Amino acid sequence: MDKAVVLRGITKRFPGIVANDGITLEIEKGEVHAIVGENGAGKSTLMKILAGIYQPDEGEIYIFGKRERITSPGRAIELKIGMVHQHFMLVNRFTVLENIILGAEKRAGMVIDEQKCRKVIGELLSLYNFSLDPDARVEEISVGQAQRVEILKVLYRGADILVLDEPTAVLAPQEVKELFANLRRLKEEGKTIIFISHKLDEVLEIADRITVLRRGRVVGTVVPSRVTKEELARMMVGKPVFMKLEKTPVPAGDVLLSVKDLVVRENTGKPAVNGVSLEIRGGEIYGIAGIEGNGQKELAEAIIGLRKTSSGQVTICGRTATGLSIREIRDLGVAFIPEDRHRQGLVLPMKVWENMILGYHRKKEFLKKPSLNLKTAREFTEKRVKEYSVRLSSIDQSIDGLSGGNQQKVILGRELSRDPRVIIASQPTRGLDVGAAEFVHEELLKKREEGKAILLISADLEEVLSLSDRVGVMYNGRITAEFRPEEVTPEDVGVYMLGGGVKAGEGA
Amino acid sequence: MFLSELLASSLRMAVPILLTALGAVFTERAGVVNIGLEGMMIVGSFWGALGSYYYGPYFGLLLAMAAGMFLALIHAVNTVTFRVDQIVSGVAINILAYGSCRFLSQAIFKMATTSPHVAGLPKIDIPVLAGIEFLKPLVSGVSPIIILALLLVPLTRFVINRTVFGLRLRSVGENPLAADTLGINVFRMKYAGVLLSGMLAGLSGAYLALEHTGMYVEGMTQGQGFIALAAMIFGNWEPAGALWAALLFGFSEALSFRVVEGGAIPYQFIKMIPYVLTLAVLAGVVRKSTPPAADGIPYERGMK
Amino acid sequence: MKRKYLITVMRILAPVLAIVLSAFISSIVILAIGKSPWQVFYTIFRFSLSRLDSVAIILYNATPLIFSGLAVSLGFRMGLFNIGVEGQYLIGAFFAALAGFTLKGLPAVIHLPLVILCGALGGMLWSFIPIYLKVKRGVHEVISTIMLNYISYSLIHYLIADVFMDRTQKLLDGLGSMLARTPKLPPSALMPKLHGLLGLFGIELPRHVYLNWFFPLGLLMAGLTYYLLMYTPFGFELRAVGQNQEAARTAGIKPERVYMVGFLLSGAVAGLVGLSDLLSYFGYMDLDFPRNYGFDGIAVALIGQNNPFGIIVSAMLFGFLKRGAEGIQTLLNVPMDTIVILQAVMIMSIVVITKVMNDYIKRLEKKEDVRVCSSQNSSLQV
Repeated sequence: MDKAVVLRGITKRFPGIVANDGITLEIEKGEVHAIVGENGAGKSTLMKILAGIYQPDEGEIYIFGKRERITSPGRAIELKIGMVHQHFMLVNRFTVLENIILGAEKRAGMVIDEQKCRKVIGELLSLYNFSLDPDARVEEISVGQAQRVEILKVLYRGADILVLDEPTAVLAPQEVKELFANLRRLKEEGKTIIFISHKLDEVLEIADRITVLRRGRVVGTVVPSRVTKEELARMMVGKPVFMKLEKTPVPAGDVLLSVKDLVVRENTGKPAVNGVSLEIRGGEIYGIAGIEGNGQKELAEAIIGLRKTSSGQVTICGRTATGLSIREIRDLGVAFIPEDRHRQGLVLPMKVWENMILGYHRKKEFLKKPSLNLKTAREFTEKRVKEYSVRLSSIDQSIDGLSGGNQQKVILGRELSRDPRVIIASQPTRGLDVGAAEFVHEELLKKREEGKAILLISADLEEVLSLSDRVGVMYNGRITAEFRPEEVTPEDVGVYMLGGGVKAGEGA
Repeated sequence: MFLSELLASSLRMAVPILLTALGAVFTERAGVVNIGLEGMMIVGSFWGALGSYYYGPYFGLLLAMAAGMFLALIHAVNTVTFRVDQIVSGVAINILAYGSCRFLSQAIFKMATTSPHVAGLPKIDIPVLAGIEFLKPLVSGVSPIIILALLLVPLTRFVINRTVFGLRLRSVGENPLAADTLGINVFRMKYAGVLLSGMLAGLSGAYLALEHTGMYVEGMTQGQGFIALAAMIFGNWEPAGALWAALLFGFSEALSFRVVEGGAIPYQFIKMIPYVLTLAVLAGVVRKSTPPAADGIPYERGMK
Repeated sequence: MKRKYLITVMRILAPVLAIVLSAFISSIVILAIGKSPWQVFYTIFRFSLSRLDSVAIILYNATPLIFSGLAVSLGFRMGLFNIGVEGQYLIGAFFAALAGFTLKGLPAVIHLPLVILCGALGGMLWSFIPIYLKVKRGVHEVISTIMLNYISYSLIHYLIADVFMDRTQKLLDGLGSMLARTPKLPPSALMPKLHGLLGLFGIELPRHVYLNWFFPLGLLMAGLTYYLLMYTPFGFELRAVGQNQEAARTAGIKPERVYMVGFLLSGAVAGLVGLSDLLSYFGYMDLDFPRNYGFDGIAVALIGQNNPFGIIVSAMLFGFLKRGAEGIQTLLNVPMDTIVILQAVMIMSIVVITKVMNDYIKRLEKKEDVRVCSSQNSSLQV
């Protein structure tokens, strides 16, 4: 019998990185095949190649035994490959039915043959035992139901191979159960399912076989019954390579940042941060580990004042910061390194020196009433540029001409050089090359020695463990566990990051 | 009698707003903001008068719609193909319409601001109903375009909600990326929406010139293209909603004429009513109404 | 660095290309009515530039456009579209006129500045409504300012024709009816012409030229705007908000406050647009008071790339075209609205050309990035 999918030597390069490096993989017809790996292991790239969104630079793809080139999403559908994206591609204002038929409407002339569409969808619903109201608007249904719509979309188009990209990332535990039941039903009907995830428990539960990716390569393919979770975690993470960082002991200072029972709601009213409490002393780095989307971003933004808090309190250097404006909070001595440099950290078309004083441009030293003191601003910039060895041709250069690492150095120079007492660093090394990341690490450690309180949020577990004095794991808007890094292995932390260790609903 | 006459006159005033608002529904549902509708009404009124002057009203109507579509085509090229700011393009369209009509009016009619009198469509008496005395002002001597405009409301609703075209049109205004991944030609749909809006705005302009006034007068649209946009917003991007909103605006105008005859309020203030009403409506309603999710945002392939 | 050079070249090239393209399209329009484009353009140049007084008229024409372009550009700089300059300048002009004809017996040194101030105040007042509605009620400024333009037309009409109409005006030979206009402004409220100053340099202008001190004031205003934008903390915030609202907010700037203050400033500048005409040529406000300066300002700002000095140049370009248009209408019988068409095409071509160029630059950048990355990689391997 032909395999459903065979990949041979798939390689895909992006500027600066090789996302997929000679991936070879065989997927049997009618199996649930899980592909696991850390963030950045190359899972999504591989899936996008299968879905026809990216073209591989090298390698061959066989679908049901025939060599194919998947040139577009449309071609993927023709080959009966259906992609269920992690971020749903749904029209929120449309009904479930409209979303499913869009682009492949059953029609009577120019008019949509609603009866026929309804019939086909009804058949699919009963065949796979999905519960879904075709007339509900997508904006009104739950996330789990929206996912079912995505699955139905590809089934409606006749897909035999379903690719699900991190399907459980957005689901509550109960919904995961339902999804798995649905997937089993699909399997019974002979569909092939490719399931991408980094949640090991789930993978072990649902998959027939598991392929582990690490840094763009296949580490191995295993059968769940013959592997433990710990073994799988080790395959995923590899040998934990700790960066050699000099961490001198620093005497703990006063509590500079304290967060108490903080609740932050999303626009939808759902709590993104759900009762977080933590205290950080001077000379301490408190790291927050966790899979992205568990409330870390909202926590950071609430502390700096970008988001309204629903309840709870933030205290900075003994002063209540809740309800203050961003500028007032910054004036209490808070530096903020935002996770998205381009959206929140910099004004891209503006010059380097302008970005270097952004937010501090009303400080006395930069004013020569009524105008800005360009001289001091430029001197300040020149100094920081030297100090942080920012590579540029001129401080009058527009900042979008700088590399990511140098842009981040400008932000560091701006935020760290005015003697803040509390530093909130959100994903400070994201997208940086090794050298620049190292620089950021050293800088944060230096500030720690100077007695600052640092909140480090990072999706990079190695980074968190090697820099922090204490590590809290954030899951579902709560801090579910707290460790000293020297007492734990990455796998231990990983279990908590994936929602293990404690039952959901328990606090730290 | 007074009441039915007032209603009849409201209806007559509402029609140009309604037609353009229906056009606005098409373009905005496809995700393109078109403030050039005012300009498309202007060219509609001019070319409608021109066509009617030489070859009769039917030709005038066709010419008006073609002229509106021509400007719409320019807007579509600017905003869909080149993805320039939709407002800037709309402003330029309006200036172009104003300038070109003055230019042509001078070149053809030898007057910058008016055309000679032109013929409209034959008026219709609605059978049976026209016999009822009370309804007479409403149903006798009616312009066929009024009837057409009213018929276009359910038709537009049907096209938008029930046809393959309508579904796809709405999808590109709500989530073009999703539509694109499903193999829908986003650009073609947007073009279609903009062009339809130009056609309807052109027709609306022709109504003003041929049916309402009997000639082209510079500035006869009086910002009704913008008011139509407000009506469409007030009507929550729905054809039926646009109808009620247009009737509200038409009613306020019709009423204001009656008030002017009374002479109690200076007529300049009466003239302001539609604009003040628009502001009030927007200030009161805008938070509650929901535009298509991707309205006004140019779509670029490969964008996140 | 090559990139920076490229951008500079393109920024200068874009308006030039737009002008050429617009001239080309206008030629087609001119051909369509059976006239020769060459002759038209030749006439525009000859009529506008061959005589000194004609050059002065160009500067006079450019004066309101400088203010109007600056007002529009202030909005653009913070990411808002002030289509309401049209209404703001009419209200501003009326406020100035009101201060002009109601106050009597003041010396010019007090009266004139007061009148100008009132103009700015009027514009500011009229710009407060849309920005308040935007910040507090979420009403998009484009529709609200358009509505306010229409409201201002009617309001001005009412104020001039009903409330403040000059009923003491003398009718010529007792014939005709009274004009709907305000009383005349006393000389203490009028802006002196530039004739005296130019006379010192041996330049004699005829009396029918109304070039006045608002022209140098416009240049000064452009300088001030440039200073405000590039050198003051507020201008810094305004540009930051316009280019990345979210980063500005993260840095502690309140975008709503910047919108409010910036828009009021834009309105204040808009309030000065009509004063050159009011305080020199007319001396009163009537129903024929010039319109459309607000819309012209949009074209001026876009062609001038929202740069105050670019705006001076593009205002002069439009002043020149307006003068030339009078020429082609009188001499060749080509409708002067040709230049309105030209203007519309210019707006479109400048935005399209800028967009295409920016996309091109971005593409170049991406290629460069890849090259930088790959060279970094190779150096790492070595």
